[in-house]
Amino acid sequence: MSGGAEAAAGQAVAEGCGAPAGGAPIKDAGNQAIVQGRVTKEGAPVAVGYARLLNSGGDFVAEVPLGEDGGFRFFAAPGTWRLRVLAPGGISTDRDVTAATGKIAELEVAV
Amino acid sequence: MSRSDVLVDANWVEAHRDDPGVVLVEVDEDTSAYDKGHIRGAVKIDWKKDLQDPVRRDFVDRGGFEKLLSERGISNDDTVILYGGNNNWFAAYAYWYFRLYGHQNVKLLDGGRKKWELDSRELVTEVPQRSATSYKAKEQDASIRAFRDEVVAAIGSKNLIDVRSPDEFAGRLLAPAHLPQEQAQRGGHVPTAKNVPWSKAAEEDGTFKSDDALRTLYGDAGVDFGTDTIAYCRIGERSAHTWFVMHELLGQPNVKNYDGSWTEYGSLVGVPIAVGDAS
Repeated sequence: MSGGAEAAAGQAVAEGCGAPAGGAPIKDAGNQAIVQGRVTKEGAPVAVGYARLLNSGGDFVAEVPLGEDGGFRFFAAPGTWRLRVLAPGGISTDRDVTAATGKIAELEVAV
Repeated sequence: MSRSDVLVDANWVEAHRDDPGVVLVEVDEDTSAYDKGHIRGAVKIDWKKDLQDPVRRDFVDRGGFEKLLSERGISNDDTVILYGGNNNWFAAYAYWYFRLYGHQNVKLLDGGRKKWELDSRELVTEVPQRSATSYKAKEQDASIRAFRDEVVAAIGSKNLIDVRSPDEFAGRLLAPAHLPQEQAQRGGHVPTAKNVPWSKAAEEDGTFKSDDALRTLYGDAGVDFGTDTIAYCRIGERSAHTWFVMHELLGQPNVKNYDGSWTEYGSLVGVPIAVGDAS
């Protein structure tokens, strides 16, 4: 793995536990298993909403607010996950996704 | 203590936010969320800049907390309504922190910012101007904060509740899944800890589950309601949410939050660690 990849992953988030709301997608996964994407409604970004990651047992793992561009990102472990998008108007949409180390699983979710 | 002593709903906030003696405070994991829009009248507290010592790993001291609340225009007898995103994760942490320094009248907005947003309620960007006060804090309440030696001593004798996700408990992840997995400490959990992820205490809209559902949740995981409890997570925020559930909602008498949590415990030399999934 290159140092550039580490920097790319590190720059994407605040220190500590600060949630990286949306933000620019990472181009290089480095040693992370990344699940990221964008939520749209009728082609426009959904900026008010939440993306939730559930494990294969259906348990909550993490949740982030969507970014201004409808974006979200998770640093998962290799395996199968479920992404749930929550948005105003009672919208709840699920997508299954497989994450792998060094890879970015990219999702476009239309609600 | 009943729910109405520690929780309010959105209708209550809309009816009472302009009452004298009521102060809304947003505390978010995403510290920029407030700037993009907040409940009208709410002031902001930044969990990192405002509540952590800038040099040592510890909280701001009593004088620092007094200065913060004085600047925000919060008085000792104000009713502080805290809310934030992600099921009130960081708002519950602030709640515990306010209690730590002895603030009496503090409540959470049930469901927090998420429910407010998903219900399409109004958010504004205007920052309220509040007159400064002369806030007086108490000494830290040692009965609700656990330190590392207490955690080691509690192995096999008290309830230890690891409130992280099952993958963090097992040692497969070292941080919540929305953060990079690059911490240096060892993975795993404190031996004899039960794994009850903090988020299980909340409904999907972020509101707290009923008392009966909460008792079933912790009871089924092996938590003994007749024994003292220490909750921990990675840096002490998620476990503050569980502290709120156990101490404030369920009325358990001796519950502490171990804010050092896994980033401290998993870096200690010589302490026992268990790995693998909960049995």
